Amino acid sequence: MSFAAEQKNYSERVVRTLIKETPKGTLTIRSNLPPGSFEGLEMDDGLGRFAHYSSIIRNVETFETISRREGGRVTLALMEPKLIIAYGICSYPDTEERWSALGHVMYEMAAVEVSRNFRGLHVGRCVMDLSMDDDLFEDKIAYMQGLSWHWDLDGKGLTAPQYRLMMMHLYGLYGFREVYTNEPNLTLRPENVMMIRIGSRVSEEHQKEFRYLRFGIKQPK
Amino acid sequence: MIKDYPKTVVTKDGTIVRLRPVVREDEEALKVFFAQVPEEEKWFLRENLNDPEFLKRWMNKLDYDQMFPIVAVKEDDGAILAGITLYRSASPAIRHVVHLRIMVHPEYRSLRLGSWLILDSVKLSMDLGVEKVIAEFVAGVEDAAGAAAAKLDFHQEGVLHDYVKDQQGNYRDLIIMVKNLHQDWSDF
Repeated sequence: MSFAAEQKNYSERVVRTLIKETPKGTLTIRSNLPPGSFEGLEMDDGLGRFAHYSSIIRNVETFETISRREGGRVTLALMEPKLIIAYGICSYPDTEERWSALGHVMYEMAAVEVSRNFRGLHVGRCVMDLSMDDDLFEDKIAYMQGLSWHWDLDGKGLTAPQYRLMMMHLYGLYGFREVYTNEPNLTLRPENVMMIRIGSRVSEEHQKEFRYLRFGIKQPK
Repeated sequence: MIKDYPKTVVTKDGTIVRLRPVVREDEEALKVFFAQVPEEEKWFLRENLNDPEFLKRWMNKLDYDQMFPIVAVKEDDGAILAGITLYRSASPAIRHVVHLRIMVHPEYRSLRLGSWLILDSVKLSMDLGVEKVIAEFVAGVEDAAGAAAAKLDFHQEGVLHDYVKDQQGNYRDLIIMVKNLHQDWSDF
């Protein structure tokens, strides 16, 4: 495998590109894609709806919607010229989510998904590499919520505890660590996992507020 | 797995507590902790951790591979508020099973500290590849702990009738609760 990287400016966005050679062909991975980047692209059939699992995103139009949101970031892995074989999404929390109480210091790693047809090629790592390669994260409490009912256990041939470990290993590579919370979805199953990475410029006050917010307390004593 | 500690929880009253493995330096704090446990509960301890000499020997043989004690420590003064120990046999025949024993400081009950410790143990067991977690509770003495386990999907697997005696010589049942860690999903 060989890697090459380039960097281009699209107005205020910096789009990073990585070329990855794989046994299945050359992949192009681009991060922080601006609105208008998605026209004509198609989803690989390994991303979609299966017997025990559905991809979080199944329509190309959704990427456009996310990229138009403030803070919405889309990273795509493409089999050129137009086949989407993996994606990563980051965004600020939805207003109805608990984490939105801390405003834009909170930043969600909302999804990383690789097509069933392209797994085992370390594409997820590349998507994460590019998604995380941004100084913006030093101002954020980046978090991921691993909810086991979204995991493709059949496709990976893993049990839920094994999948949990895989997720923890992947995010651990980028400085994420597991934290506890009483957020209802996360507490539904013990294999569910919340992981966070606190940026170097996040204030002590925000860290303290976040610690309490994890347990539903908005005003630290 | 140990590198993931300490883990922070905030109790219902806003107390910040850290969950972490026991280390040798905890001996004095553990003495203080066990001194606070009511006599009628100490009676049911499988190991006499209330005895300083026994505690010292117990601390000296700490081996996380077979006995993984975790304590809940108050952030502001370092006091131990609760403890749970995972016991795991070296025998390959039952290596897939852990047994839990838990104790919470009397003044810090009803704050879900026990629940957090049980949940932490379940997650740790899962990450260690364990398939079955077993907890035993003395009927009429450890009912609150049993209820916390039930809320975390432990189910009652059996009852050993008149298995233990209390200080007065009365027989009590031992409730055996089990949590099977999901190795597979049902189709439901």
